[in-house]
Amino acid sequence: MVNPVTVSKLEADSQARMEDLSMNTELPVDPAALREEVKSKYRDVARNPNGEHHFHTGRPLARRLGYSASLVDAMPDRAVESFAGVANPFSLRDLDPGEKVVDAGSGGGFDCFVAAHQVGPQGKVVGIDMLPEMLEKSRATADLMGLKQVEFREGLLEQIPVQDRWADVVISNGVINLCADKRQVFSELWRVLRPGGRLQFGDIANGKPVPAGALRDIELWTG
Amino acid sequence: MLAEIGFLDIQIGQPYDTFGEARGEKKARLFAVYGYSFLARKPESP
Repeated sequence: MVNPVTVSKLEADSQARMEDLSMNTELPVDPAALREEVKSKYRDVARNPNGEHHFHTGRPLARRLGYSASLVDAMPDRAVESFAGVANPFSLRDLDPGEKVVDAGSGGGFDCFVAAHQVGPQGKVVGIDMLPEMLEKSRATADLMGLKQVEFREGLLEQIPVQDRWADVVISNGVINLCADKRQVFSELWRVLRPGGRLQFGDIANGKPVPAGALRDIELWTG
Repeated sequence: MLAEIGFLDIQIGQPYDTFGEARGEKKARLFAVYGYSFLARKPESP
């Protein structure tokens, strides 16, 4: 069980790290070039989930991040195998039955399937991803699992194809750090959330400063 | 940035050793990179 650390040095530090990457008006890398590199990496995760990647994937990763073993064990392999998150968006708070959820950067759909279990058949989960290979996989898996409350849409986190104030909750896992313009992404997450809605996401933060030169190295962003 | 945009009640969970024993562990250790869970709320009124 994770003990939440309310606004603290940790938060200040991690926010500072994110601001390092995002507060400058000049972005450290070209967003389109970074996007193509990310597509290349995660296309391989969709097609070859058990291949050699620089990060963990699948069931071992879900165990490492503390997802409910009984829930994950009950899922078919194809629902879990392309999971490549970095934390657990459900660790600080579960979703409530009937809630409407957007997953920003849904990949193979694993977090959407967890969300669908929590919100139940009266809820709604919309996964957003830019990769056709991931969308094809996640849609087929949702059909296989009979999850009629789950839908996947093609789109970018900088332009989320969801109407204003639709979502009760926005989740995301390991994707915001792969976007060059984080201010635009967070503004979009804000736009699609209803007033009073929650943002529950997992992402990485560095505890040591990254040299400016390294920030401009796209290879470091994705590997 | 979350607070600057207007999110409230921001919480951050304990770190996950996301890259431990993975091929990317060496680079992750170089910059002390860990995974974190975040929770924040959009206010009822702007």
